[in-house]
Amino acid sequence: MSEFRVLIVDDEIDFLETLVKRLKKRKLDAVGVASGEKALDILDRERFDVVILDVRMPGLDGIETLKEIKRRTPLTEVIMLTGHASVESGMQGMQSGAFDYVIKPAGIDDLIEKLNQARERKLLHEERIRSDRKVP
Amino acid sequence: MRKESGPTGRCPDIDITPYPIEEPGQSRLRLFQVLITLLPAALAIPLFLCAGPIYALLALSVAAVSFMVAGYYIGRIARANEQKCKLDLQLIQSQKLAAIGELSSGIAHEINNPLAIIGQEVEWMKHLMKEAGCGSNTPVGGMSEFNDSLIEIGRQVDRCREITHKLLDFARKKEPLIQAVDMNRLIEDMAKLVEKEARQRNVLIERNYQADLPLVRTDPPLLRQVVLNLLNNANWAIEDRGVITISTMRAGKNAVEFMVSDTGCGIPPENLDKIFDPFFTTKPPGKGTGLGLSICHGIISKLGGSISVDSEVGKGTTFTVHLPAETTKGNN
Repeated sequence: MSEFRVLIVDDEIDFLETLVKRLKKRKLDAVGVASGEKALDILDRERFDVVILDVRMPGLDGIETLKEIKRRTPLTEVIMLTGHASVESGMQGMQSGAFDYVIKPAGIDDLIEKLNQARERKLLHEERIRSDRKVP
Repeated sequence: MRKESGPTGRCPDIDITPYPIEEPGQSRLRLFQVLITLLPAALAIPLFLCAGPIYALLALSVAAVSFMVAGYYIGRIARANEQKCKLDLQLIQSQKLAAIGELSSGIAHEINNPLAIIGQEVEWMKHLMKEAGCGSNTPVGGMSEFNDSLIEIGRQVDRCREITHKLLDFARKKEPLIQAVDMNRLIEDMAKLVEKEARQRNVLIERNYQADLPLVRTDPPLLRQVVLNLLNNANWAIEDRGVITISTMRAGKNAVEFMVSDTGCGIPPENLDKIFDPFFTTKPPGKGTGLGLSICHGIISKLGGSISVDSEVGKGTTFTVHLPAETTKGNN
């Protein structure tokens, strides 16, 4: 099994750096970027299992980035992270294919459990595609 | 769901009238019961004259027994009939939804392409304007109005696109991915998301979670979508001040149920059997596509469960979702 790779996207650099550090301590291969554009960039070049995405960012916002990620690599699971809860954006996010919608501040154990579930889902998805190909 | 009087008048009302359901024929069954009782009872008189009172009594008791036996079976038949009617209605409902879903996704697909072209042309025109030196920042003569028009066209194209995408989503046959889910936690996460907005409108959220709920094997993001939708509806059904109650419970051995109740405006009976139809909305035009509940219905059926509604105007509404648990002991 390859390493569990997580991409964290948030324009609040302090928050971003702390979260990357804490996830690395838990043996996750975490990488942080500060904008939606940078996220799409790095996703083009590297493989990630799960993306943690801030909803409110200048430039490409969370929902737009989510839609673009799901369009380019539908198997990548995305957990939306939001500072202030908005039901409207929550519904939009879930409808656009987010795995979960988490309100900040989220406990690290909680977050890791959600990450694991999101990754499990990605593996299930890959497995299904593999078995579908075998049967034709 | 915000109640609004008057017709919605925005979308073609697709009416697929269900075939009339056969009447259970209760009265005919009752007639049969009377006949089957009267026959031995009528025999009692000639028997009394010919063979004496003992035989007459025997005939009477046969009459009494047949009355009771017939009554028992008629009751069972009536109940079975009632159940059949209910299942028929459910079947009609899901067939209707499937038919509308297919139709609307076909239309959405057809409309998507011209929509994309219109959007592209708008972008191209904006580009040409900029090159000619009359972009949005340089209002030259009548050009600024021209620009505003272009921007508005773009905005409306986006609005249409949102609707067609929702429709395509609605009809897409995506197979659920099954994972073990702690329902109480999943629901609580979504409740927290709604709670802030609810509190601002003086709406309280009350929790009634059953503690030892079995893990449910289901598709978590799909279920989240349903819970969030129901909570959002409940929130908007309440004008000001009210309570949303969320309950979870075991339902028999292999199923769980959750309910979302509100103390809001309620749904009038004539709307109650339409609320799961796509496009049915009581919100003003542009405020809702009327797809929320039909998407919920589609998701829950895909997950092997059922969703039902109970409502009283002025008192509130309760949505109940029944899901198979497929109990798995321990963690995922």
